[in-house]
Amino acid sequence: MEILIAQIFNGLSIGSIYVLLVTGFNLLLLVAMIIHFSFPVVVVFSMYISWVVMTLTGSVTLGVVGGIASAIIVNMITAPMFQHIMKDRGSVDINATMVISMGMGMVITDILSHTFNQGFPIAFPDALTGNDQGALISVGLVSISRGQVLTLVIGVLFVAFLFWLLYKTRAGRAFRAIAEDPNGAKLVGIPLLKTGFQSYALTGILGGVTAVLMAVLLGSASAGLGDQLGHKVLAVSIIAGLGNLTGGLIIGLLLGILEAIIQGYLAGSWSNAIAFIVMLVVILAKPKGVFGSKL
Amino acid sequence: MAQNDSILKINNLSVAYGHVQALNDISLDVKRGEIVVLVGANGAGKTSIMETVLGANVPVSGDIEFKGMHIGGVPVDKNVRNGMFLVPEGRGVFSSMTVMDNLLLGAHHNLKNSTEKLELVFESFPVLGERRTQVAGTLSGGERQMLAIARALMSSPEMIMVDEPSIGLAPIIVNDIFEILVNLNKEGYSILLSEQNVYKALKIAHRGYVLETGKITKSGTAEELLNDEAVREAYLGA
Ligand SMILES: Nc1ncnc2c1ncn2[C@@H]1O[C@H](COP(=O)(O)OP(=O)(O)OP(=O)(O)O)[C@@H](O)[C@H]1O
Ligand SMILES: [Mg+2]
Repeated sequence: MEILIAQIFNGLSIGSIYVLLVTGFNLLLLVAMIIHFSFPVVVVFSMYISWVVMTLTGSVTLGVVGGIASAIIVNMITAPMFQHIMKDRGSVDINATMVISMGMGMVITDILSHTFNQGFPIAFPDALTGNDQGALISVGLVSISRGQVLTLVIGVLFVAFLFWLLYKTRAGRAFRAIAEDPNGAKLVGIPLLKTGFQSYALTGILGGVTAVLMAVLLGSASAGLGDQLGHKVLAVSIIAGLGNLTGGLIIGLLLGILEAIIQGYLAGSWSNAIAFIVMLVVILAKPKGVFGSKL
Repeated sequence: MAQNDSILKINNLSVAYGHVQALNDISLDVKRGEIVVLVGANGAGKTSIMETVLGANVPVSGDIEFKGMHIGGVPVDKNVRNGMFLVPEGRGVFSSMTVMDNLLLGAHHNLKNSTEKLELVFESFPVLGERRTQVAGTLSGGERQMLAIARALMSSPEMIMVDEPSIGLAPIIVNDIFEILVNLNKEGYSILLSEQNVYKALKIAHRGYVLETGKITKSGTAEELLNDEAVREAYLGA
């Protein structure tokens, strides 16, 4: 029982990372109409930038700021490339955006494995992760770290903020209108390109925050991490139903819990394979996603 | 209202989609306080005129003046800000969004006073008030058309373009919608209407233009067009 509680908590914290990543992916899909499955690679890149800044300046705060800033900058720099092929939405093939995303992912992953830390995984300082301070709560076998609590709390708050923004604000209303019917949105006077850029900026902030939370929770990163997460995020969003934000929230958390339970009770090193087999079964049963696609 | 003061003036407008010439040398005008109807069969170019005026299409040649300003190539959001709004063919409401959200989208460019504007809209369309939290997808066809018109009002327009509002509606509902348009016109809104329901449209309009494959073939007062032999034969089945 104690193991179960501990693993569920574990799962919720890693799950909230998945939720953040899936939400960013879905927002770009719905509002900017791009399939950016390398979005998690950009996030891992920001982890690396954050690490570089921390290593050079010795300041955790600057590292956090640098990580978030780099995610926004990468998103905004790459936006024109995506926007260029999305200018003529009626006739464009959305799959072309996938090729750009794939290319970006490969370039970034190569840069990470060749130029940073001689290709070795990077480790974040204890001042960020809080690992030197031991567990925050420790009862019997259950031990919960500061990092886990922080990730879960900020993750939940940030997702709540995103949903508030989407459903209660002017910009969010425009996002949803474009997501449902880009041409109709244009006819009521919503500027498509400008609103698309806003969604890039927003997902940039989202990616930056996620990068910092991942640094806190995982304590380390490697060049291949982005690809691995990219696969999971794509799988989660398809299983939930492409573009389904609430679905992504639920499936993201469930995947986190599933993995944690596998790690707690079965072989940890098999958690990826088993998780993907479970997802395979789900997608065979529900090819259109458990909660239905919103595209 | 000064009847010879044009709110919209289109001069020699041509529009093409790739190699498809949709509009060929169109000239027309809408005076302040008028209801002007565009009459024409499928593919005649009614929607193309409205979307080009709105700024969703870029004309090949010609000139569009709105309130005395040249607006060729001006984007939709600027034109909406300047006081025009389109009620699109097929309503164009967002089914997954609430009635409230749909209305607020009309005021996207200026949310100031939106509470007051909402109150006015709910006063004129009580049914929308009752359903404000319902998603638009659950509304009937007539209610959706009302929502689309109410959304236009939320933008505080001076001219409203209404593209084939009667499509897919029962005759009795069409009458309601046309009555709404007449009342809006009486309140001072200038209206550019497109219709295939030619008789009813000419009954409420001041003037009309007949459009055939991208060209204006006839124009005149509603009265004149209703009594025109060729028009009667082609569009009124008489
Ligand atoms: N996006 C487009 N791409 C290519 N051709 C188009 C496009 N939109 C309209 N057309 C063509 O332009 C011409 C005019 O079309 P338009 O939609 O303006 O006619 P309409 O009078 O509104 O017709 P309807 O009554 O069927 O709505 C048609 O020949 C149509 O096929
Ligand atoms: Mg049309």
